[in-house]
Amino acid sequence: MLNAIIPLLLDSLASAALIFFAAVGLTLVFSVLRVLNVAHGSLYSIGGYVAASACLFIASRQMNPYLSFVALLFSAVFVAAIFGPVVERSLVRWTYGKSEAVQILITFGLFLMLEDLQRMIFGVQSYYEDTPMRLLGTTNLSGVVYLNYQIVLIVMAVAVVVGLRFLIRHTRTGRLMTAVVADREMAQAVGIDTNRIFMLAFSLGVFLAALGGALATPTSGIAPGLGADTMVLAFAVAAIGGLGQIEGAAVASLIVGLARVLAIYVAPELDAVAPYAAMLVVLLIRPYGLFGSTSVRRV
Amino acid sequence: MKRIGLSAVALTIGLAAAWPAAAQEKPDALGLGIFTFTSGPAAAYGMPGKNAADLMIEQINAKGGIGGVPVSATYVDEAQGAQGVIAEYRRLAADAKNQVMVAALSSANCLALAPIAEQLEIPTVGWNCDTHQLLTDGKSKYVFRPNGNTVPEFIAYAIYLLDRKPDVKTVAIINPDYAFGHDAATIFKAALKALKPDVEVVAELYPKLGSPNYQTEISRLTTAHPDVVFSNLWGGDLENFVRQASPRGLFRSSQVILALGETVLQRVDLPEGVIVGVLGDGWWMSPDAKANPETAAFVAAYKARFGEYPVFPSIKMANTLIYVKAAYQAAMQKNGGKWPTRAEIAEAMKASKVATLTGTTETRADNDGLVDQIVGVTVKSPDHPFPVIGQMVRYKGDKLMPQAGQDPIGWISTLTPEFAKSLPKPGSYK
Repeated sequence: MLNAIIPLLLDSLASAALIFFAAVGLTLVFSVLRVLNVAHGSLYSIGGYVAASACLFIASRQMNPYLSFVALLFSAVFVAAIFGPVVERSLVRWTYGKSEAVQILITFGLFLMLEDLQRMIFGVQSYYEDTPMRLLGTTNLSGVVYLNYQIVLIVMAVAVVVGLRFLIRHTRTGRLMTAVVADREMAQAVGIDTNRIFMLAFSLGVFLAALGGALATPTSGIAPGLGADTMVLAFAVAAIGGLGQIEGAAVASLIVGLARVLAIYVAPELDAVAPYAAMLVVLLIRPYGLFGSTSVRRV
Repeated sequence: MKRIGLSAVALTIGLAAAWPAAAQEKPDALGLGIFTFTSGPAAAYGMPGKNAADLMIEQINAKGGIGGVPVSATYVDEAQGAQGVIAEYRRLAADAKNQVMVAALSSANCLALAPIAEQLEIPTVGWNCDTHQLLTDGKSKYVFRPNGNTVPEFIAYAIYLLDRKPDVKTVAIINPDYAFGHDAATIFKAALKALKPDVEVVAELYPKLGSPNYQTEISRLTTAHPDVVFSNLWGGDLENFVRQASPRGLFRSSQVILALGETVLQRVDLPEGVIVGVLGDGWWMSPDAKANPETAAFVAAYKARFGEYPVFPSIKMANTLIYVKAAYQAAMQKNGGKWPTRAEIAEAMKASKVATLTGTTETRADNDGLVDQIVGVTVKSPDHPFPVIGQMVRYKGDKLMPQAGQDPIGWISTLTPEFAKSLPKPGSYK
């Protein structure tokens, strides 16, 4: 019995970790900016491309392979530093307070531009770079060999949830974000630079998206089209958890991960629809998602 | 006014009468619409086909083209989806310059384009269409497939497996979730059931085409403890699967069959002993290929230009263009050297037998091709830094094909262990 449960549990957690990284940035941006960023998936795949390129560069120069771990993190920082402020100041800020339709149109336009930008810079071929995965080796659990990298991803996902919670609840920047989320006009009235907070929050969202792509790279190929797939999954997770709820995204990732893994183990033909079936069930019971509500805004 | 109307009618009739003759004047260039994947995960399979087409067309044109007419290709990226592919096909077909379509790579696109080819009367050669569903009705006039189909391709793996591992009890399958993946599983299972009925299928997984992550599927396959894992994943999906499954020990715990494994031999680190093949006879290092100077020259030119050896999609594309060229030559020979019409080209393709870079392709009455099947296992090579195919067998194409019009799955169920025993054995093709 244990032999059957451990793989199910571990696969669900590993799958949930990847899904969480794909969705958390979208959730954070919505919680602070109230913007549905359709281009989120593209930022995820750009993170993957940059990380793969950096790791390939390290390998080609025969540098210390452990630098590839640093490259994964710095790729996300690099993407956030480039795209975060530029995209927020040039495009996203015009959507604040506008209808969801305007937000979706503008960010969808951005999505199309970023997809073409990726094709121009990285080409149309798949990128693979698995040095970090190989360096960490494997572990045999209940007769199934797992990549230690998968276990590291689970730990990192937990660390990101805890880290974001700490940032928002226990740091000055986090409290300022909470104040802006609660009442933007009042926050401005008491002297908070809301533009700066919005830019910071958006850049943090881009960082989380790019980090998700970068961390997925060692176990997955990066190819054109990944952004669209990621975006759809991220929206499903955000809808299940409740738009703008970070803890909700974590729980929703677990639900979607478990649904997918159960489908693969028990009814493989339902694999593709499992995340969306879970979303349907949750939304039928709780139309605003597990942690969402119509009136309360909480980061 | 009446006079102008009559003149217009006369001019129209005159032009219409002159058209058949005009169509047989040699054009400035022979246009080919070539459909393949040039972007996305499937480009790992599609680009070698495009590369081969570029090279082959260059070589044909260097020798004076076809019937003295240079060949000019327009490439269509199949990654845009079936609707886009259909629109591009119609657009190219509307241009009289484009006489033949080399379409397509994806079985799904081939099935979508076949009725349009018949409707527009455009000779359409499936350079990689594998699904046996393509020509089952036997009524096709303009759709041809000189590259074999899923029936002989996947029966060959079942026979090879039972020769190599006769005590196999359990099998797991992981194939892409569309026609090609499901057809392959159906045929492979039907062949195993006919040849060794006690084999049990313990897991069947069909991940979405283009899926980047297979970790859960690999866990599922491992927990099923199958003797054999069969897969016809391809392109970037196959590369991803191998990169993820190899460190997790799947290749050690089960005998793995990668039906399209030859395409990744130069790209990923495949261990020894994996059963691989080329879905036909397109292995550039086969004894027949090595003995053919034209093939050796093509391989050398391909390696020099693209930095790697041709994989079997490259050979399939090259063989398809040889097939098209042979059809033009046959049609022009038949009509006294005039430039052939689309109908004459299609007629020339029927019942043709063409020598290719790696063997022969014979077109049956139902327009399906008879091509030999090469299967083997990965072995280390002293000559290359990547594994090659060893312990090869070459099954005759007609041995593994039902008669035209016969239900393929019904025919497979009639196969017997005695039939398998009558076929050549692993290692016999050297």
